[in-house]
Amino acid sequence: MDALVAQLQMQFRDYTISLYQQGFLDDQFTELKKLQDEGSPDFVAEVLSLFFEDCVKLIGNMARALDQTGTVDYSQVGASVHQLKGSSSSVGAKRVKGLCVTFKEYCEAKNYEGCVRCLQQVDIEYKTLKTKLQDMFNLEKQIIQAGGIVPQVDIN
Amino acid sequence: MTVEQDIEALDQFPVGMRVLAVDDDQTCLRILQTLLHRCQYHVTTTNQAQTALELLRENKNRFDLVISDVDMPDMDGFKLLELVGLEMDLPVIMLSAHSDPKYVMKGVKHGACDYLLKPVRIEELKNIWQHVVRKGKLKKKTSSVSNGGEYGGDSDHNGVRANRKRKDQFEEEAEEEERGNENDDPTAPKKPRVVWTRELHNKFLVAVDHLGVKEAVPKKILDMMNVDKLTRENVASHLQKFRVALKKITDEANQQANMAAIDSHFMQMSSLKGFGSFHHNHHHHHRQIGSGQYHNGATAMRHYPSNMTLGRLDSLAGRFPNVSSSLPRNHNDGGYILQGLPMASPSLTSQQSSLMASPSNLLLLNGQPQTSPPSLNPGFSPRFDINKRLDQWSNAALSTNIPQSDVHSKPDALEWNLLNSNLDTNPTTFCTNTDFGSSNAAQANCFEIQRREHGIEEGLCMGQQKQQSGFMASDAGSLNDIVNSIMTKEESQAEFSEGDLGFGWFSPLRTCI
Repeated sequence: MDALVAQLQMQFRDYTISLYQQGFLDDQFTELKKLQDEGSPDFVAEVLSLFFEDCVKLIGNMARALDQTGTVDYSQVGASVHQLKGSSSSVGAKRVKGLCVTFKEYCEAKNYEGCVRCLQQVDIEYKTLKTKLQDMFNLEKQIIQAGGIVPQVDIN
Repeated sequence: MTVEQDIEALDQFPVGMRVLAVDDDQTCLRILQTLLHRCQYHVTTTNQAQTALELLRENKNRFDLVISDVDMPDMDGFKLLELVGLEMDLPVIMLSAHSDPKYVMKGVKHGACDYLLKPVRIEELKNIWQHVVRKGKLKKKTSSVSNGGEYGGDSDHNGVRANRKRKDQFEEEAEEEERGNENDDPTAPKKPRVVWTRELHNKFLVAVDHLGVKEAVPKKILDMMNVDKLTRENVASHLQKFRVALKKITDEANQQANMAAIDSHFMQMSSLKGFGSFHHNHHHHHRQIGSGQYHNGATAMRHYPSNMTLGRLDSLAGRFPNVSSSLPRNHNDGGYILQGLPMASPSLTSQQSSLMASPSNLLLLNGQPQTSPPSLNPGFSPRFDINKRLDQWSNAALSTNIPQSDVHSKPDALEWNLLNSNLDTNPTTFCTNTDFGSSNAAQANCFEIQRREHGIEEGLCMGQQKQQSGFMASDAGSLNDIVNSIMTKEESQAEFSEGDLGFGWFSPLRTCI
């Protein structure tokens, strides 16, 4: 089984590094990982699931605010974007956060098309991240099930 | 936390420091909670500002520190910050994803001890306990018991303790904790927090005024106030704050402010933090008063619109009918000009529009009450300098011409009081204009302001040390010169130049005019 563990560990390492390299994750995610220990073994998974819940909620808010038949309340949209920015930066969801920055600018400029575009992108982005992280967590689980330890991945 | 945990935590501070974390974003809240746990603090979380307030109000000794997000749907984080500062006087740290310096400034002005940007790093949280120490709140965690001792109930009392060695504090706290063990029970009667209402504060002021600064000790003030359920400690801490505020005013030496603001300031909080947001250079005040607790004073004051200050003037007037008689007694007292002010206030308020309308009126006021607003005369304290200050002060209070930056208006009120105290302590000095030393900066500013107004410069400027030094340069004799020039302008010389201020009792002042 050692070979399997080793293989899984290598897969895990590579996968994780690629997420960072592709800009899905940043240092803050690393920090979150550091906070995970025996006392809170599922901390990262827990926080990320909270984050994804927030995404659903906030994106819903933004969509509703943008979907007004009358005038769009950009400050309302902006408030949700701001919050998403805060939480995405806290979990290390780099791409989502970057989109929020752009999104915020469109809100301030009251640019409807820009906002709608950003909304769509944010939606795609968080879902992509969610899938990728799920894959990563699965790898972790497999490693543990195979009797191994999840390696600390050094992001250089 | 159990009692044992409390004692342990106490000994190991900052380990076990009790933090209340507020953030409507559940992701951030969860992360924050974990980070704080990692720092070995004891954490309570809530995603509603309202809940946070309730928790805090329920037991103000339950927490040492509050961390709160700025953007929350049910209540603006800044508002929460203020309320916590006012009601509980706990250190509050703001959190936000806004890195815009505007927000940081706002946070500081509202009294935040610190402003952290999201994402928060653990390194930043590792040092937040310093804010608890700075506020002298080390004792709080153990004073959840009402034991009638010196530590009971009064958070501000801690400010005094803060000066003592940490070790002593810990020892005392440990003792207190032991004493408190028997009755560390949620249902035990706790000393209710004293809220310094306007009436209460007025009584306080009256008592202090009667006693005079030298004699204004908490016990006597307490006796004089004759209020049920008020303890010596409550008075002591309030007095301490009052003195700090006075000191600030004197240091600033800028009478703009709203005396009403200072009053309302006091009214607002039973525990204010220091005036950190005021950008004044501190002057040396001969009275070294406790730990600077007023940096949040500005925040409280800030919320007093100028028209409110007018109202205050009125009420103050009502409260201090015998100001003039009290003034001489308060010769050496700080802040009793405040009491003097009310006398002027009724007339001031009536005059306000006219006063504000013309700089010359201001000059008049500053110069002496003799002129345009005759009704002001009787209202003013007999002391020349006091009058000036009162004028400027009330003008400031009326404040339509005065650019009132949030930061400035409040401190000035306090400054005014302190200023007056300085004046009081050096009445002759003031008269002779010989000693415009540091303690007379206020006086200097007073004149400076007059001069500026003379030049029709709008706005009594606040807290500018330059004035002070500038004035110093002009030196003695200038007082009379200025006054005279003002008088000339106003053509009210006759009355004034004779040196008869019409107040009857400050002969020394009169002679020096």
